[in-house]
Amino acid sequence: MNSIELHGVNKYFGDHHAVRDLSFKVPEGTVYGFLGPNGAGKTSTIRMIMSILYPDSGDLTVLGDSMPERVKDRLGYLPEEKGLYKKMKTRDLITYFGTLKGMSRREATKRARLLLDQFGLLDCEDLHCEGLSKGMGQKVQIIATLIHDPDLVILDEPFSGLDPINVELVREIILDLRSKGKTVVFSTHIMEQAEQICDSILLVNEGRKILDGSVTDLKREFEPTLLLEYDGDPDSLHQPGVVRVNNMGRSAELSLASGTDPQRTLKSLMDAVTLHSFTVKEPSLHEIFVRSVGGSTS
Amino acid sequence: MNRMFLIAQREYLENVRTKGFWIGILMMPLVLIMIALVPILVESTRSTQQYAVIDESGETLQAVDRAILRRDFGYLITNFAKGQEDHLPPFLATHFPELRALPDDLIENVIDIIFEGKVADDSYSKRLRHFFDLESVNIRKWWQNLTAEDKARFSRRMSTNDYVRISEENLDILNQMIRDGELFAYFVIGPNPVESNQGARYVSNNLTDRDLETWFRNQINLYVRDRKLTLSNIDDETAAWINEAFSFEGVKLDEDGSEEQVDETDIARQWAPVAFVYFLWVSILINTQMLITNTIEEKSNKLIEVLLSSVSPITLMGGKIVGIAATGLTLVFAWLLMALSFFVGLPLLIGIELPIDLSMVLADPSFLLSFLMYFLLGYLLYAALLVGLGSMCNNLKEAQNLILPVQLIQMVPILLMVPIGRDPNGTLAQTLSYIPPLTPFVMMNRAAGPPTTIEYVVTTLLLVISIVAAFWLAAKIFRVGILMTGKPPGFIEIAKLLRTPVVSQTPLR
Repeated sequence: MNSIELHGVNKYFGDHHAVRDLSFKVPEGTVYGFLGPNGAGKTSTIRMIMSILYPDSGDLTVLGDSMPERVKDRLGYLPEEKGLYKKMKTRDLITYFGTLKGMSRREATKRARLLLDQFGLLDCEDLHCEGLSKGMGQKVQIIATLIHDPDLVILDEPFSGLDPINVELVREIILDLRSKGKTVVFSTHIMEQAEQICDSILLVNEGRKILDGSVTDLKREFEPTLLLEYDGDPDSLHQPGVVRVNNMGRSAELSLASGTDPQRTLKSLMDAVTLHSFTVKEPSLHEIFVRSVGGSTS
Repeated sequence: MNRMFLIAQREYLENVRTKGFWIGILMMPLVLIMIALVPILVESTRSTQQYAVIDESGETLQAVDRAILRRDFGYLITNFAKGQEDHLPPFLATHFPELRALPDDLIENVIDIIFEGKVADDSYSKRLRHFFDLESVNIRKWWQNLTAEDKARFSRRMSTNDYVRISEENLDILNQMIRDGELFAYFVIGPNPVESNQGARYVSNNLTDRDLETWFRNQINLYVRDRKLTLSNIDDETAAWINEAFSFEGVKLDEDGSEEQVDETDIARQWAPVAFVYFLWVSILINTQMLITNTIEEKSNKLIEVLLSSVSPITLMGGKIVGIAATGLTLVFAWLLMALSFFVGLPLLIGIELPIDLSMVLADPSFLLSFLMYFLLGYLLYAALLVGLGSMCNNLKEAQNLILPVQLIQMVPILLMVPIGRDPNGTLAQTLSYIPPLTPFVMMNRAAGPPTTIEYVVTTLLLVISIVAAFWLAAKIFRVGILMTGKPPGFIEIAKLLRTPVVSQTPLR
């Protein structure tokens, strides 16, 4: 069973072809990452899933329904640009969003208090939203997204602008949702975050799908990379068989042309620089992205 | 529908909790009090103007002064109010109630008896005649010696409240006083004002305020006319007949053709719609403004996307419009209640009678009902037009530019308020009734006419059709505009947008 299925979806904004022939499936109960640089079409895709926008062509099925409007009440959405009604009390605001999702007022209030308690915000329930700190405001926004216990939670760039403590908090929430059997989709342009928590990913660039699938499968498909710590001239890292160097100063990630023997590369590297460590490793998502985009544009 | 109600409810509760709402409600009594008080304040802050007279004829000033003294004494009798008895001398106080009870023509006579030494005839009771014999001279002396301030206690209408004559007659001194601003003006009466204007002059440094000049000229005119009548050997009776002014009696015809006397309530009824139009205009303006501000605030609060993940754009727009309509109705009802209690309740409470009976006007269903109906219809039309445009803007400044054309249309009814009120069934009024954005105001303006039933039906139908059309357009714009960021589009781009089918609509940038 898939929570989201897209088949050949296209979206134009005037002359701009924002989403091009996009197809993918989000398996139920997984954490799914939308990856890609800014302007890749991630938000437009999410808005189509939320039926805020409509595709110009293609099929879109959300929670088994080909008319996504009908399942809006089972979706939770946290947009990248988010705000609060400043003059409303925290509890009332969360309750209001609950009732907009079809909950009764009593039920929504009860759950609002429960969630506020879980997030350590019960003391603030009577506070007006304008009196909340930035971090508290973000928690309230997340609570408002989860108030109706949605089956599918969509978070657009949930980590952007968060301090490390809140990044950790959001990550815990995502993993907690998965453990309860919910599906979580989130978009990000930071590969490391996705790599840590996603079961599957979709890589998009310029509106087009680059690749999709489970993180484990994807890493297996790609040639391994070499991770090394070294001293010496970075230019000397470009040995035969090395197609790309991701230099980080005293360490580097080297990708090899297919069929290249890592042992032979090691040998030639030892002559060129002083090596402190050498590991053959699965490629990072960043590496996979760079390889795929490079391959697709050339 | 249920969610639209939720949005409307939240909108309403948030609005009525704002300071602005309560300031808006309290504005009404303030405005009413100001309408009542400002003329009084203006009147009372106006300082008494001092003037002097150089009378070359030797007798005119004396006669005019006496006439002014008499007339002011007349105000004493006719405008005397309870509680002022203490200011009267004892010899007058005892008989004053009797004097006041006399009919108008006899009062005129009393003044003659007191000031001209006429003999009281049988028209008066024995008691009064005896009183006149004893006290006429005393009363005259008392009145002549009273200061302007003392006289002002009895009535605001006393001429001495406005104009006080000083006795200086030296031309050089007077000129100096005018230059120094100590004197408002002086008059020179020529050697023979009955014969000609020769030598008559009005000297003042203020040539805009001509009230004193007009007033004093009238006094002289009365004297000159009297003298001319006397010189022509015309007896008093004939003189009175000649002086009698001509007047028309105002009559209007009822629907069945019977004649009806026109009184002040009718005139108030005729002009009441103008007040209602103004009220309607203010109410609609305030509420549509609230709607725009609100929409833009919500947009800048970045809540739109969250809301749209739960409800459709149309539900959101509908909820906002309904919520603000409820806010507006609350405001309007509060205002009406206050106006009612101000014009009907308050006079009853403190026991005074208003010069015109406004309760009739307020209780007339053709005013109140059409006011409420036109408020709702007018609001809906403008709300739809403005919320569509407003949804595309990110701040109020952008919105102001975009909604300018709509606001220009909104100005028309205010400019035409008086001409339409004057001729409620004229060609202008009839024609404008069929232009939907103007219909609510113009039809309200014509309520006293009143328009025919056919006109009511057709114009309302047109208005309702326009409202539906405006909502359809607004919905198309709103669902895209509300997600728009950056500069709002021009009118050509909006037109392009309106031609695109809803499903493939997208933000313009």
